[in-house]
Amino acid sequence: MEREFRFSGTGISNGKVSGKIKFLRKQERKEIKAIAKDKRTELKRLQEAQAIALDEIKALESKTLSTLGESEAQIFKIHAMLLEDEDFVEAIIGEINGGKSVIEAIESASKIYADMLLSLEDEYLSARASDIRDISSLLIRILTGEVSENQENDKEPYILVASDLSPSETVKLDESKILGFVTFGGTPSSHTAILARAMGIPALVGTGAIDKSLDGSFALLNAEKGTLVVSPGQKEVEKFEKERQAYNKIANEHESYLRSVMNKPAVTRGGHKVMIYANIGSDSEISSALSNGAEGIGLLRSEFLYLSKKEFPTEDELFCAYRDAVIKMQGKRVIIRTLDIGADKQIPYFNLPTEENPALGYRAIRICLDRKELFKNQLRAILRASAYGRVAIMLPMIVSADEIRESKAIIEECKQELSTQDKEFDSKIELGIMIETPAAAIMSEELSKEVSFFSVGTNDLTQYTLAADRQNPLVTKICEENLEPIMRLIKISADAIHQNGGWIGVCGEMAADLSLTQRFVDIKIDELSVSVPYLLGVRGKVSECK
Amino acid sequence: MVEFTHTIKAESGLHARPAGLISSAVRNTKSTVVIYYEAKNRCADGSRLLSIMSLGATCGTELRFEIEGEDENEAMIALKQICEANI
Repeated sequence: MEREFRFSGTGISNGKVSGKIKFLRKQERKEIKAIAKDKRTELKRLQEAQAIALDEIKALESKTLSTLGESEAQIFKIHAMLLEDEDFVEAIIGEINGGKSVIEAIESASKIYADMLLSLEDEYLSARASDIRDISSLLIRILTGEVSENQENDKEPYILVASDLSPSETVKLDESKILGFVTFGGTPSSHTAILARAMGIPALVGTGAIDKSLDGSFALLNAEKGTLVVSPGQKEVEKFEKERQAYNKIANEHESYLRSVMNKPAVTRGGHKVMIYANIGSDSEISSALSNGAEGIGLLRSEFLYLSKKEFPTEDELFCAYRDAVIKMQGKRVIIRTLDIGADKQIPYFNLPTEENPALGYRAIRICLDRKELFKNQLRAILRASAYGRVAIMLPMIVSADEIRESKAIIEECKQELSTQDKEFDSKIELGIMIETPAAAIMSEELSKEVSFFSVGTNDLTQYTLAADRQNPLVTKICEENLEPIMRLIKISADAIHQNGGWIGVCGEMAADLSLTQRFVDIKIDELSVSVPYLLGVRGKVSECK
Repeated sequence: MVEFTHTIKAESGLHARPAGLISSAVRNTKSTVVIYYEAKNRCADGSRLLSIMSLGATCGTELRFEIEGEDENEAMIALKQICEANI
């Protein structure tokens, strides 16, 4: 049996592929130490090469723009700017004036700037060194008349192996021939990795050198685990193939389901429209929420910005994060729940006292109304983000209309402060509350006069109504078997808010329970907000409802 | 001459794309722009991409923009907007 070789690196994109590995063949340079002719000739050659290179880069930019999108295409816009960057060009000219040939001059200028970027000890900027090398090798290729590297005459698709792949090489890969690729170097934040991700090509970067003698061997590439196994044993191949088929089956089923459900409006057969929104914990989930058909964000948990820090985030930090989320949602509604800490979510720098009964203690709006500056800091950030799309504020743990009125007064103060600072915000920003205490449901008639929407947090509403902690295995049964009181409280709230012209959503775990969808439709719930993996299931279910 | 300071809030720092935006914007003005990273004693020509990138300005860095020219006030507004929205 042949010996197997294992390599590990950082996986880019997902997926598993198997096939022969092929090393990228780069043509040997013919003229590398070309003797410098006179300076004027060398400078003229530089100018000509720059012009051709610029055309090639622009072509790549428009190709990438049409196949992948604007942010990927910007990589080549940067390349075009680097190509004309005065510092870079002056460095090349300086070397030519010092007596070097144009090719040697480009090589040494490339090295100077690549080294400079690498020395900055910043992952992002270091990764740009490969962009400098990419445009330099493009210039040299044009000057030496090399044909661009290609794997001619390959009939079978293969796994490409290279010491490094430049962004332009990546975007030029023939996707019908390439199963995936592996590079010895490279990092997940390189432009090459960004492109591979956008193209959906399984890839592995940073494996370290792979011996050329393995060229043409059969291999298994697992981008999820970040492994490449060359010449694997029979058993491993069988196991891999099984996993791969299972993965592809799920991926295919998901694809076809996505296609069938995605563009269906979530309308019941009786004509009741339900908005399908996503619950998210950070803006990194937005692209998957959108690709799963989210019509809005029903619950943006704002705690993540506080939990990941060692001290209070500043208004600007919060603003940036909210604004990014709002921009990504392109005008769709984004409901930001104000800080919901305390109880099971503790943050050291808040210095909250230890409580005997935290779930019934000092948490969420109760803390915010006491620590007004903390609350205002967040409200101002949310208000500023509202200038970039459609934002709604949602207050958690409300038990009385007074709490809402007090919050509204604080929001007004924030609005006035922003106005005097000439900062923009949506003056008609929507305000809603969570219905998660029995008190809120019982008082919903009064509360609905103060706000434009309700969102039911079923997890807390269940535990507060039944006096049973769902996390306690001794009483979870009580929670599971006593739906009726919860549904009645939701109905009371729904009727109250509808009478006052508002709308109501459900954003707790019950929203994703497909056995309850019909009941929610029956009491005219307007919105169901669930985490990303449940979006399509709920959408499909609503369209089947009466 | 006018000037303003900006503290970088983007997690990935002043990387290639925003540096490109700044340099393009500066080229569209009639002013000269010098960007100072005073804590590290570095400065950059605001019209030059590599120069800006070589500041190595990461998240939390305070940068001072010095703008001089006939349209310096408009230039400052444009640059402030780019900074606010991108870095």
